[in-house]
Amino acid sequence: MVVTCSKEHGIGVVQVSHALTAATVDTFREQLSNWQSAEPSVKNYVIDLKQVDFMDSAGLGTLIAVLKRITERGGDMKIACLQKKPRLVFEITRAYKVFEIYDSVAEALKMFS
Amino acid sequence: MKAVFYTADTLPWAETLGNTPWPLLPVANRPLLDYWLEACAEQGIGRVQVILGEGAKQVEDFAGDGRRWGVEIQYSFARTSEQPLDYLKSTSDRWTNGLFFIGGPFFLRRRNAFTPAGFKELDACRYGSDGNTLFLFGKNSDEVKALLDGDPGSRRGLEQIHVQPYVVDGLSAYFTLNMKMVAGEFSRYLTAGFSDADKSSVGYNVLTPPSAQLRAPVIIGNDCRFGAMTTIGGMAVIGDHVIVDSNTELSNCLILSDTYIGQNLEIRRKIVSGNRLVDPADGTSIEIEDSWVVAHNRPEMRTEDLVRYAILWCLAFGVASVQLLPFCILYPLVRLTRIAGYRREKFHDPLTGYVKLPVFHKFENRKSVVYRLFRACALDRFPWLLLALRGRLFVCGQPPMRHPEDDSIVKQLPHYFPAVFSYADYCKESDLLVDSLWYAHIRSLFEDVKILIKSLLYRFFRAGK
Repeated sequence: MVVTCSKEHGIGVVQVSHALTAATVDTFREQLSNWQSAEPSVKNYVIDLKQVDFMDSAGLGTLIAVLKRITERGGDMKIACLQKKPRLVFEITRAYKVFEIYDSVAEALKMFS
Repeated sequence: MKAVFYTADTLPWAETLGNTPWPLLPVANRPLLDYWLEACAEQGIGRVQVILGEGAKQVEDFAGDGRRWGVEIQYSFARTSEQPLDYLKSTSDRWTNGLFFIGGPFFLRRRNAFTPAGFKELDACRYGSDGNTLFLFGKNSDEVKALLDGDPGSRRGLEQIHVQPYVVDGLSAYFTLNMKMVAGEFSRYLTAGFSDADKSSVGYNVLTPPSAQLRAPVIIGNDCRFGAMTTIGGMAVIGDHVIVDSNTELSNCLILSDTYIGQNLEIRRKIVSGNRLVDPADGTSIEIEDSWVVAHNRPEMRTEDLVRYAILWCLAFGVASVQLLPFCILYPLVRLTRIAGYRREKFHDPLTGYVKLPVFHKFENRKSVVYRLFRACALDRFPWLLLALRGRLFVCGQPPMRHPEDDSIVKQLPHYFPAVFSYADYCKESDLLVDSLWYAHIRSLFEDVKILIKSLLYRFFRAGK
């Protein structure tokens, strides 16, 4: 699990690679939390899931927890590049009603502006 | 005429759905092979050869010797070097009276005007896909030979008898076929004991709490459980032994047998088979390892069956223990008075085909206190109770069907539970077929205990009359 965080136009772009499952969510949460501590001014986030080919309910639960934490701080979170297999999990768990999902990072960034 | 079903090819799209061999994939909850064998029975084809490949055991376990359809099935294995048409050509002397060949996932979709009698008028025809022959029909050796040599056959093909050929060439086609069936076509394939009332078909032993909603059109298999606030349908095909947890919505979907669906889910335009979730539109599939989302139910003995078996076995053991002493005392007296005794008669058996059971008969038409006492205590069923304790009979269920007298009834029963006690023990107006179908429909532990108690009490208070 590799989490790459960067800042574009004041918005945090979080790239996640490989599967987001019970085995990897702790790493994801920890690395994101470290970056958030280092960049306290960033309130809005785009989670780029282009390289996430599989996700289980633990991964989904972590994304919901991250969204909750961000919105509590007055920010917002959008998801970009959701791949077909994780999309199936989003569809059956009704998670698509919770998240704003966009086809590309650029599109998601545009929605913040 | 003979029929040949070639099931040896492997289909990658079917493997996505789990370990079920493709000939057994359900269409409106009936395996594809079931429809083919039914078509044979309708045409009067008595002999069927099934050429097996992977999943041979499952196919053989399902079809057996074909008695259920009134046909005789022979099995053989495909040679890897031989194509199905090569095989048919090499054995052309066997098709002198015609050939009905299906060589792939091919469905004979009936139109409204279809009648089984139409097959007699069907001209020689063939269908293929991607160079493979999927269907071939000829009424004599000349027609079959011409078709095997490449003749395209009749232009009208199966449409002549109002059957539309449907090639199930992928997940999308498979899903679409099931959706067409649930949308209304399934009523054209109903077997005895089923109805299409309210555009729906609900199997045996389905539990729905009052807050669950079943929305037509819907097809539900046997032994399903739906949680509170679930919405099932419209356009949902649910297989056997499917458990849907609370607050979940299923519509426009196909749920294969032995599947658990977790809480608060929404399944639309999907196929779920065990823990596999499939999007039929593009074939994307994932295996979900969270057993609280979707999962595979154990196909072996289910918890409820195990509980039912254990409770009824204990009850039967209790009854047999109480009966043991009276039986040892009264049976010799019955034999001494020569008024009655046991005779072995042949019955249908779901495991072995036939079984001989001891049946208590009155030999002389005269009054006897011993005889009445013997029957009042249900001691005539004591040998059957012992068989039930050995697992050879059910304790409560349907009356064992005699052979050959009840052959026609057994053919119409989708599930046969020969038992020691049944409705016939306390219902004077009992109709064997209707009661048997009804029992299979509402089979439960409560029903079994009710039958046991009522049977024993009725006999006791009627004093063995």
